[in-house]
Amino acid sequence: MQSRKLGWLLLAPTLAVLFLFGVVPFFYVIYVAFHQWNPFAANPEMIFNGADNFRQVVFDAGFLASLGVTMAFVFFAVLTELIIGYLLAQAFMKDFPGKAIFRTIHTLPLIMAPIIVGSIWKLMTTPSIGIIPHLLDSWFGYDLNIGQSAGAAFAITVIMDVWHWTPLVTLTLIAALVSLPPDPFEQAQIDGANKRQIFWHITLPMIAPAVVATVFIRLMDALRTVDEVLMLTGGGPGSATRYVGVHIFKEVFPRTNYGYGSAVSVIVLYLTIVVCWLLYVGMLAPRNTKKG
Amino acid sequence: MGMRHVFGASLLSLAVATGGAFAQELQIGNEDWWKEAGAKFDGVTLRGVTESTPPSNFISDVLAPKFEELTGIRVDVETTSWDQMYDKAIKDMEAGTGIYDMIYIEQDIVYAYMARNFLVDLTKALADKPDLKAANYDEANFTTFADNFRGANGELYGVPMEAFIKVYLYRTDLFNDPEVQAAFKEKTGKDLAPATNHADYAEIAQFFTQWGKDKGLDLWGTTAQAHTGHPASWYEFFESVAPTYGVYNWGIDAANNYAASVENGGTMNSPESKEALKWWLSMRDIAPPESVQSTWTEVATTFAAGRAAQGLVYGENAAWIASDESKSKVVGNVGVALPPMQDGILEQVEGGTGYIGYYDGGAFGLPVTSKNQDAALLFLQFMALPEVQEEWAVAAPRITLTSTYDSPKVAELNTELGGYYDMLKDQGYLFKGAPEYPFHAQVREATAPIFYDILTGKIGPDEGLDQMAAKAEEELTSLGYRK
Repeated sequence: MQSRKLGWLLLAPTLAVLFLFGVVPFFYVIYVAFHQWNPFAANPEMIFNGADNFRQVVFDAGFLASLGVTMAFVFFAVLTELIIGYLLAQAFMKDFPGKAIFRTIHTLPLIMAPIIVGSIWKLMTTPSIGIIPHLLDSWFGYDLNIGQSAGAAFAITVIMDVWHWTPLVTLTLIAALVSLPPDPFEQAQIDGANKRQIFWHITLPMIAPAVVATVFIRLMDALRTVDEVLMLTGGGPGSATRYVGVHIFKEVFPRTNYGYGSAVSVIVLYLTIVVCWLLYVGMLAPRNTKKG
Repeated sequence: MGMRHVFGASLLSLAVATGGAFAQELQIGNEDWWKEAGAKFDGVTLRGVTESTPPSNFISDVLAPKFEELTGIRVDVETTSWDQMYDKAIKDMEAGTGIYDMIYIEQDIVYAYMARNFLVDLTKALADKPDLKAANYDEANFTTFADNFRGANGELYGVPMEAFIKVYLYRTDLFNDPEVQAAFKEKTGKDLAPATNHADYAEIAQFFTQWGKDKGLDLWGTTAQAHTGHPASWYEFFESVAPTYGVYNWGIDAANNYAASVENGGTMNSPESKEALKWWLSMRDIAPPESVQSTWTEVATTFAAGRAAQGLVYGENAAWIASDESKSKVVGNVGVALPPMQDGILEQVEGGTGYIGYYDGGAFGLPVTSKNQDAALLFLQFMALPEVQEEWAVAAPRITLTSTYDSPKVAELNTELGGYYDMLKDQGYLFKGAPEYPFHAQVREATAPIFYDILTGKIGPDEGLDQMAAKAEEELTSLGYRK
């Protein structure tokens, strides 16, 4: 009994911090979402407006367009990171000369602040001075201008995200691969299974929990991407890269549309939970059913 | 890596040394009074937040240490990005936390701050506390730019710390080159000279873009602040181009129920506005390729890199472009002129209606939420002392006191800058800051996505301006300004 009390006592500071900086702001955002509140309106006070903000979100063409490009961004970015991350993880499972150096270099983007990543990619992609447009022009005669081409801007934001976050996927998948027992693989080889069969029927099911956890983390991160994209394209050209995070930022900060911005945040949180749940069901439920 | 550290350390040492040198050079009159006035605030630390610009860096690197040396009051000034600066200041004042004792107020947001009663009336505060009034501080010495920070009765809410006009810069080496002049004459039948109207400007721009192409040079005829996802492009059009076509105050008529559309009495989508936008887009099309990603900073670097023959450039950048060899390839080759405008606009503006371009700048204000208002009042006056302003004008070219124009050091710099200070002094009245709207960022952000779509060609300029006018009115209605 005494140890239980001590346990709660030791947990108390953490719980207090979580409550103050996690729970309170969360409920405050929900509270604000039910109000019309712009401090620079003729009436700067908070005015309760029921579910008006949510109704507005549902019919807001700007938000819906933003949601569409965000989903495309998340799909391409996370899928690419997963594939490249897995391939790199498999490569790092083997020994090769310079492996330690390569692994360290490969991990470096992870420690960079997103705003720095955005700045670096902006420098690299600015027409006339950027290395990427220069090389693309020299090698393929392709004129890259992410201030002009919506497709190019979208692609570069995906590539930037892949460059920044693939190391995280690699590291988590290395951890998963390292922890796999050798027996099933040896037995499969004895039974004559080829590499593809081993991957589909042994490796993938065994690392599925790690894959799902990694996808969840990356999915949630990608859905709230702001800094990198804001620095690189500002959400442009037009609204080609105005992902929901950028959309919320522009509504809440420069436009100070706190009520509406909060409603968008709540909706995006809800959508994130739904997408994660669907993924969980889609990726893990069949496996659990088979077990049952 | 070692070299980078050495380089970084050298830069840091240079910055500290430069700041220290300036601080030592500053000779403040009546030092005893400052010591005595500061003695009452023993242990006080003032905190300020501002945008990271050369004038702001002068405050943190030079003025703050000198003020502390004089008064014993420590001053910490955060220099951060434009967005972060606003975010921090607004949240602090909105929540009433009182973290900041001084905040940077850009001219375009002061009306929003004043409408929310965020700022201390400095005129009244100093009148109420004469013991805090420095002898050499004189509100009457401010240039007319200070009027942007005054209330209805002339009371001051911010001490101006930077002021620039957005000017027409051109390359004198190109404009004076006999070969270029002859080619231009042959092609157009005209003498090559800085343009005074849009047609001439366009002709010169087209000529130089073609000249660069023919000669294999990285040279284009004009700059364009035409970012397709940043409000810089919106600003260039509404604050620098549209006024030269007679469209003022973003085309919103405050006296007419904040009408923006022609239908309701506004001019945002007027024929003049549409003509202006089409002209500007045509200039954007022959500007360097980076223009579609250019904010005010990149426009300056484009010009400084010698990639444009002419362009509209913020005065804060004009100075270093013309004088700083470490950053600019066109030092000594920069001419300054009034922006090109439609016939009759100059006469109209001289007659007291409208303006021909943007008068940019900012002030330091004192939030009502500050817990150290008296000590902050001292620092704000210190910033506006004539002896401080003179050194400041040389270190980070900007002028906010009329007396500073008379300084020999400033006169010398004026020559280097192609007469920029003369223009600021004599023709500054032709320029104007942002309109006196408390909803500045709100209307801008509401209409900007449509503007970006115009820039990308998703919608045409006519249709786009119609949509923007409607959107502006919708936003103003939603905010409660338009009835």
